[in-house]
Amino acid sequence: MKATFPNFGYETLALKTFLEKLGASVVLPPANTKHTLEMGVKYSSELICLPFKITLGNFIEALNRGADTLFMAAGAKKCRFGYYHYLHEMILRKLFPRFRLYAISQYTPYQFVFEKMPQIFMVSPTRVIYALLILLAKCALIDDFKCQLRLARVLDFNQANQIEKRAIKLIESANSISQIRRTRQEIRTIFSINGKKPEIKIGLVGEIFFMIEPFANQEIEKELSRLGALVVTKRSLFRHLKHLLKIDWEFYRFSLLAYKYLKDSPGGEAIRTVGEAVSFAMSGIDGIVHIYPFTCMPENIALEALEKASEDYDVPVLSMSFDEHTSRTGFLTRLEAFVDLIKRRKRERGR
Amino acid sequence: MKVGIPRALLYYRYGNFWNRFFSELGVEVILSPKTDKTILEKGLGKVSSEVCLPIKVICGHIEELKDKVDFVFLPRLVYLGDKLYACPKMIGIVDIVGLNFSALLRPKIKNDFFLPHFQVGLALTHNPMKSFLAYQRAKEELKFSKTIPDFPSDQPKIGLISHFYNLGDDFIAHDIIATFRKNGFLIYTKEDLPPTILENSKGFAGKIRWIYERELYNAFNYYLDKIDGICNIISFGCGPDSLVGEIMADKAKTLNRPFLQLIIDEHTGRAGLITRLEAFIELVKKRIVAN
Ligand code: SF4
Ligand code: SF4
Repeated sequence: MKATFPNFGYETLALKTFLEKLGASVVLPPANTKHTLEMGVKYSSELICLPFKITLGNFIEALNRGADTLFMAAGAKKCRFGYYHYLHEMILRKLFPRFRLYAISQYTPYQFVFEKMPQIFMVSPTRVIYALLILLAKCALIDDFKCQLRLARVLDFNQANQIEKRAIKLIESANSISQIRRTRQEIRTIFSINGKKPEIKIGLVGEIFFMIEPFANQEIEKELSRLGALVVTKRSLFRHLKHLLKIDWEFYRFSLLAYKYLKDSPGGEAIRTVGEAVSFAMSGIDGIVHIYPFTCMPENIALEALEKASEDYDVPVLSMSFDEHTSRTGFLTRLEAFVDLIKRRKRERGR
Repeated sequence: MKVGIPRALLYYRYGNFWNRFFSELGVEVILSPKTDKTILEKGLGKVSSEVCLPIKVICGHIEELKDKVDFVFLPRLVYLGDKLYACPKMIGIVDIVGLNFSALLRPKIKNDFFLPHFQVGLALTHNPMKSFLAYQRAKEELKFSKTIPDFPSDQPKIGLISHFYNLGDDFIAHDIIATFRKNGFLIYTKEDLPPTILENSKGFAGKIRWIYERELYNAFNYYLDKIDGICNIISFGCGPDSLVGEIMADKAKTLNRPFLQLIIDEHTGRAGLITRLEAFIELVKKRIVAN
């Protein structure tokens, strides 16, 4: 079996290890590029949200590289995400004669461990649990790494990029619990650098694919740190997995915070987006950036709630949607203007 | 006491029921006028520009009603039956409106209609008996019994696959319907079919967990080999339709059935729309002759 799955930011490394621990050989799609997007756009309906187009592009490129077994997460079917895999399969069948696509439901952990995975990989549930533990540990490692990276980027942008490369090598080869533990320490050490303290702090919220995959969000985290803003987020695959296992305690707090604005979940991540934003606002953050795919249903609902929260807590919010036509320059201009505004605001208030 | 009902979205399905319910309660209902440009424009600024036309339209209707009534009635349909969900925006829009407007009656429908409506009745009349009876009497309006329509062989037939709040709203669909009529077509919509067909859960329909989307897909499937062509009308920015529409388009193509997907929004020009429709009508007519 040559397994593959769509790129998912730095977290790709953890998912890869997970499949390898189950005995698959993994053929990753090449890193996302314009070509990936073009392939995705070419074969999908114009109206569908961007994560679909990018993941379709990934599958096409991975199949071209020889992958034969595709894994795609599936959702609760309240939003389009839960149906992505039907369309993926429908479109890919016309292009590639031979492949299997497994849709992995996120909301049935029991079946996942005891039925689905053992069936696909012909392994025992114990092995699945072991692989899952490694996955969690590695996701935690990546979460930690990303936090270090965010800080380092504002301290010394160029040096941070150097360290990032080294850190990724380390993460790639960490494949057991003890190695992961050691790598965590090593990464902390290599990231201890000095520099000028960040002037402002920006909370990033939005749709999960966009929060995790830098290609989708035009590397917004990098750009914000280049502009001197420390980025903080409460979203990562690690937290998402905890959420699915119902042990993400913070999520319950987010739900409570969001309740003032949204009384019922409109699906997707709207509740979480709003809850995180409110929690950022309460902790005195300087600004919030909200990112999501163009026409994303839940996030367009969240957007209105954020606007209100922005008034209530007196914190600037910038909402940005992206599709394949998003212009890089336009995007950067808006981001710069927003960061300027926040800096000015902070200086004025500081006086 | 005046309660305003926006003539939009769910009104096109449950309007009769609501009218009856409030009149049994003895509460005066103000229905917003039919959608027009002014109403739409009032709605545009109220909600993100990326959302679908029907959501913009309902926002306009609510604006229209705000100053004229004591309460605006805006129920939230979460799911029907075995957790078949409404679309995220339908669920969410109620909260969005509620952010800046508090005189809102927003019963939450989770399959059960009785309790949420009973509570609304109670809040308005403070009379449990009256509220209970009003629901009991209005309840019959919730039955949507239809018989299978005829398919006369001597007339061209078109299936309009679109949400009832698109087809029911003249501002959105009048031109489309009129063009087909003018060309002698009989029009079939999902609302013409009995629940037994619409609720089918075999095949791909069973995998769709959006209530109205499943109905649309079932109607599409049912009509596919009985009529001469299908016109699928989608609102730009509609999430569910973008997905299921794609699957319908693929199926129609595979089976070689005439299929037109019209994407509409507030900028859709009448002339361009009619040109496209007429081209499609030509095609369908040619096929009828050829067969
Ligand atoms: S949450 Fe947004 S991006 Fe994800 S499937 Fe739904 S509409 Fe698409
Ligand atoms: S189903 Fe589509 S048209 Fe209807 S409210 Fe949802 S997004 Fe809008």
